[in-house]
Amino acid sequence: MVRYIIRRLLQAIPLLLLISIMIFVLLQSSGDPLASMGGKRLTRPEDRARLAKIMGLDQPIYMQYIYWLVGNDWVQIDVDNDGTLDTYGTRKGVIRGDFGFSLLSRGKLALDLILERLPNTMVLMIPAEIIILFFSLVVGIYSALRQYSLTDQVITTASFIGYSMPIFFVALASMYIFAVNFRKWGLPYLPTVGMFDPKVGKTFSQVAIHMILPIFSMSLVSISGYSRFVRSQMLEVISQDYIRTAYAKGLSERMVLIGHALKNAAIPFVTLVGIDIPFLLGGAVITETIFGWPGMGRLFIDHLTRYDTPVVMGILMLISLAVVFFQLLTDIVYGWLDPRIRYN
Amino acid sequence: MKKCVIIWNNLINIKKGGNSKKSLFGLFNKLHKYTKQEKEENIMSDKNNMIKLLGIFIIASFVLTACGGGGTVPTEAPTAAPTSVVPAAEKIVTIAWTQEPNSLNRSYSSMWYMSVLTNIYECWPWNYDANNEPYPNLLTEMPTVSDDGLVVTMKLRDDITWSDGTPITSDDFVFTHEMINSTANSVDSAYPYDQFTISAPDAQTVIMTFSEVFTSWQSSLWQGSLMPKHILQPVFDSEGTIDAAEWNMAPTVGCGPFNFSAWESGSYLRFDKNPNYWGPASKLDAIVFQFVPDDAAQTAAILAGDVDAGYWPPFEDIPAFQDAGMNIVKVLAGYNEGWFFNLRDMASPGIKDLVVRKAIAMGLNREANTDLRLGLVKVNKTLWDDLPAYVDPSITAWPYDPEAAKVLLEDHGYVDSDADGIREDLEGNPLTITYGTTDKTERQNYQALAQQQMLAIGIDLQTFSYDADILFASYSDNGPAAIGDLDIMEWSDAPYFPDPDTSYWLCSDTPSDENPYGYNYFVCDETLDALFQQQIVTGDPAAREQIFWNITKYMHDNLYYLGIWEDPDIWIFNSRVTGYIISGVTPFHNVADWDITP
Amino acid sequence: MESNLKPTGIPVITDIEKPPLSLSQLVFLRFKRHKMAVAGIFILILMIFYSIGGTFFKTEAYSLVTDTSIRLNAPSTEHPFGTDAVGRDILARTIFGGQISLLIGLVAMTLEVIVGVLIGAIAGYYGGILDSLLMRFTEAMLNIPQIPLLLVLGKMLSDKIAPLSIFGRQFSGSVVVIIAVIGLTSWMGLARIVRANFLSLREQEFVTAARCTGTKNWSIIFEHILPNTMAPIIVSATLAVANAIISEAYVSFLGVGVMPPTATWGNMLNGAYTYIESAPWLWIFPGGFIVLTVLSINFIGDGLRDALDPRALTQSE
Repeated sequence: MVRYIIRRLLQAIPLLLLISIMIFVLLQSSGDPLASMGGKRLTRPEDRARLAKIMGLDQPIYMQYIYWLVGNDWVQIDVDNDGTLDTYGTRKGVIRGDFGFSLLSRGKLALDLILERLPNTMVLMIPAEIIILFFSLVVGIYSALRQYSLTDQVITTASFIGYSMPIFFVALASMYIFAVNFRKWGLPYLPTVGMFDPKVGKTFSQVAIHMILPIFSMSLVSISGYSRFVRSQMLEVISQDYIRTAYAKGLSERMVLIGHALKNAAIPFVTLVGIDIPFLLGGAVITETIFGWPGMGRLFIDHLTRYDTPVVMGILMLISLAVVFFQLLTDIVYGWLDPRIRYN
Repeated sequence: MKKCVIIWNNLINIKKGGNSKKSLFGLFNKLHKYTKQEKEENIMSDKNNMIKLLGIFIIASFVLTACGGGGTVPTEAPTAAPTSVVPAAEKIVTIAWTQEPNSLNRSYSSMWYMSVLTNIYECWPWNYDANNEPYPNLLTEMPTVSDDGLVVTMKLRDDITWSDGTPITSDDFVFTHEMINSTANSVDSAYPYDQFTISAPDAQTVIMTFSEVFTSWQSSLWQGSLMPKHILQPVFDSEGTIDAAEWNMAPTVGCGPFNFSAWESGSYLRFDKNPNYWGPASKLDAIVFQFVPDDAAQTAAILAGDVDAGYWPPFEDIPAFQDAGMNIVKVLAGYNEGWFFNLRDMASPGIKDLVVRKAIAMGLNREANTDLRLGLVKVNKTLWDDLPAYVDPSITAWPYDPEAAKVLLEDHGYVDSDADGIREDLEGNPLTITYGTTDKTERQNYQALAQQQMLAIGIDLQTFSYDADILFASYSDNGPAAIGDLDIMEWSDAPYFPDPDTSYWLCSDTPSDENPYGYNYFVCDETLDALFQQQIVTGDPAAREQIFWNITKYMHDNLYYLGIWEDPDIWIFNSRVTGYIISGVTPFHNVADWDITP
Repeated sequence: MESNLKPTGIPVITDIEKPPLSLSQLVFLRFKRHKMAVAGIFILILMIFYSIGGTFFKTEAYSLVTDTSIRLNAPSTEHPFGTDAVGRDILARTIFGGQISLLIGLVAMTLEVIVGVLIGAIAGYYGGILDSLLMRFTEAMLNIPQIPLLLVLGKMLSDKIAPLSIFGRQFSGSVVVIIAVIGLTSWMGLARIVRANFLSLREQEFVTAARCTGTKNWSIIFEHILPNTMAPIIVSATLAVANAIISEAYVSFLGVGVMPPTATWGNMLNGAYTYIESAPWLWIFPGGFIVLTVLSINFIGDGLRDALDPRALTQSE
């Protein structure tokens, strides 16, 4: 197993490199960050030339990638645009932790922007994920145990309604019901947008109460989907012989369920969770946009639409790291959940 | 807050009970310890768990609601004044703001959502009132122009200071000019500061010398771009550039009625009252801009009262605001939605024929189509409708007359020979016109209406909608408008308001391989080009107006542009906010007079 | 033969001379007993007939007719589902929208399932280098952000694909692009799940037995192991249909894909966004159709899973 882990970690390095190249090329070909610098007018050629030089966009694409990766403090660059090479560059490159300056918010480091938003996203996504995991398991198991009963059919229908609704719908509808209308009707109400009320500040209770609607919207859709997997896998498992044996041995339903069945039913669930968790870092673009939550998702989309490569690459590389790591983790967990699995 | 924590802890403790395995987390752990069979009695049933947890979730929401700043709201405003002495609450106006600025230094940002803020913490030499007329702010009088039109002189007041007490002098203007033109700074654009040289004979006088007559100096210079020399010069000297200056992101030293106080990335921007303001003190204690990117969420926030004001809501929501007693302010800012016609070589032969364009103009029911905006806007005749002085008064809008359109097409050889409902053009091909715009729902709806109305007169209107970045991409990036894929392009545009100048129809700006960033996607007409080139160097206002009369009449008669409807700025204010006078160019010009009743 | 111990669902063989039923006959019989599955098939066929047969009642041209004077009207006798923001009849739009949405949903789902199962099965069965390569490829695909990919692919491909013509209706090439893009970017989860199941199942005795008798690898994969891992595949497939239909709305929102004014259930939901409160009929009908489609496929899937699984015991109904 240890050799397997080391092999995987070694494989991760060229993989991450390859991913970074693919995404870099994809971003560069999707648009031009200088196009909207002119405001009402289109960017003038003189401005375009000046900005391209300062931002390093006049280099060929492979050079830009190399500077992004390893920095440019080992070459001389022309700082004041007079045609002669003056000093060494100042960028250290991603390898040494320097993600560069944002092209949009010039003067701010890409990493700073990301780190400002990351805690906000974690505060929202981690409780959301816990709620989703918990309720998916509970609803899925419950549904499986009562297969084809009325409750099961109701839950199934509700799940599919929940899963079929686009998230912006759920988000906006819940905002209107619980925030706008509840307030109109004199019931206790929730706030509409933001992570906290700017007049009050970022206190615990403010954040907690602003979290409720976004988490509710995200959970509804995800629980609907995941609980289906849990239910179906549980149904598979409880029809197995060893479950019948466990019952025959006199174990209670709870014990059989949790002790024996769940572990084996968990594999697809764990897979999906393993895929999901790294993307927690990326936040939830639509939910954050609608609720005005200052998270990574909004940062990503705001800077993606303005083709701000350093920031977008920074976010995506962080997510890639997390994906590779969590995929490895899930593979290890498979081995633990089902001892029959071997990696040769 | 403390009470809430206690209640929350109690709720958790109910679950914990005497045995830690009963807690929420204990249960989760249990799922993996299947071999420890002796613990089975302590595990509650799933069903009970689920119900209890749901119950806790609901109760917790109510608890947090009660503690966290919600609470029940009386359905009517209290009419009696409080009898006990209560310290006055801070007077803060919260405005919903759709886009977050990328920088607070005007030269590093081209966003409208940033530039209008500069009236709050920065200062313009002259502001614009509700009629979009300029009036002096930092100056003793409006700038004077020399007879040859090349020299513009500004006289500063002697009592103006930055918020830290340092006087504002001509040195700051010279410094700003230097910084914007410096190649070491990655400012968005040096225009139009590279069109003139600057000098400061004394602390209160600034002289700008242009190389050519530049009539639109008044509407394009010093709009919040003034930089404090005493703060930024040291930064430039030590780092060689002001790109990474702290002041760009946190301009704590400003010259407006409010000072920058906080910027929480993604959440809000806050400006507090400037105690050292050289002008009349502001009535409000602070203004907060809360970033709400989504339109529908902005409407919800305004209706719920979480924010006091908002900008540019969807038209559909206006009745809801009116029902809720909000004030709706409609301001002309120069923008009008219109159809731009592509008459370059690659356009379809149909659109290049004036007859077809006239038929289109008469076949489009523009008046009825304003139903999409609930009839709250008028159809515009030209691009310059917001500057009526520059529009030839003899221009009358093309009428809606589909029968006349059909006759016109028939008479000029556009007949439907194969009876498929679409006429053929003079070369025998179907009369197909491509029509593109952005993917905003309102525009897509307009496309649907236009398509049906064109079908009724026998024209096949093919509609396309693109993401804005794709549509407006340059010729070198194969933007569909730039490379001429579209015969009709629709978007909302304005001249360099409040100046009537625009460069859209200059022949020199036609995009090509040699000029990949040109933006004349429309037509190179020698007469029109000459008129536009003439107006930019005509200093005499009356003569300039006359030239524009010629321009507007010419463009109308030749149908180079078809007006769809006016696109005013719409501001929504809570009834508690008072004192605001919104101008199209400088919405926050009288922000010091704004007030809010608690 | 034991005649009184009868697991439900398996026909009792009372007469030795009757030949045993083949696999497909067995599956069909068991499927029929599953009431909800039959209802599912019925509803799905209804949806398909609605989308196809509806064209006899309302023409496509009618679905495009706009009239701002009757915009946002609630359901009435003339417009049973009401009118939308430009006065078009929603009933007609759901018919024609259904054609595209069903096409996209079902075909993208099929593509996704095929790719995901193939990759997962091969990786899980063979292991070793093949597994490493395929899984690294999967991780790489997971990392590519969908939005730029959609924009770039959409820009590159939309012009190059010819329109399809099915049943006399023209579907623009962008429908093919969407199906390809959605199908080829959503298979990763399924591949991982199938792989995990294969890793587990290939160690079981019946696989060893099959190998001993000289069964070919592909036969082991598809005829022995795969039927045992149908459950997550079926759940994936049903969720994939909903996902594809909704993704199509999001893709159109980016300007890539089915161009308005052509309707799809997904972009009708998009257009209803600002009218959630004021005109609920804008989203109730397309949303309702999506839910019905997804539900029906889900029930069919349930039935299939029960029918295919040799060990599943259905409770007495």
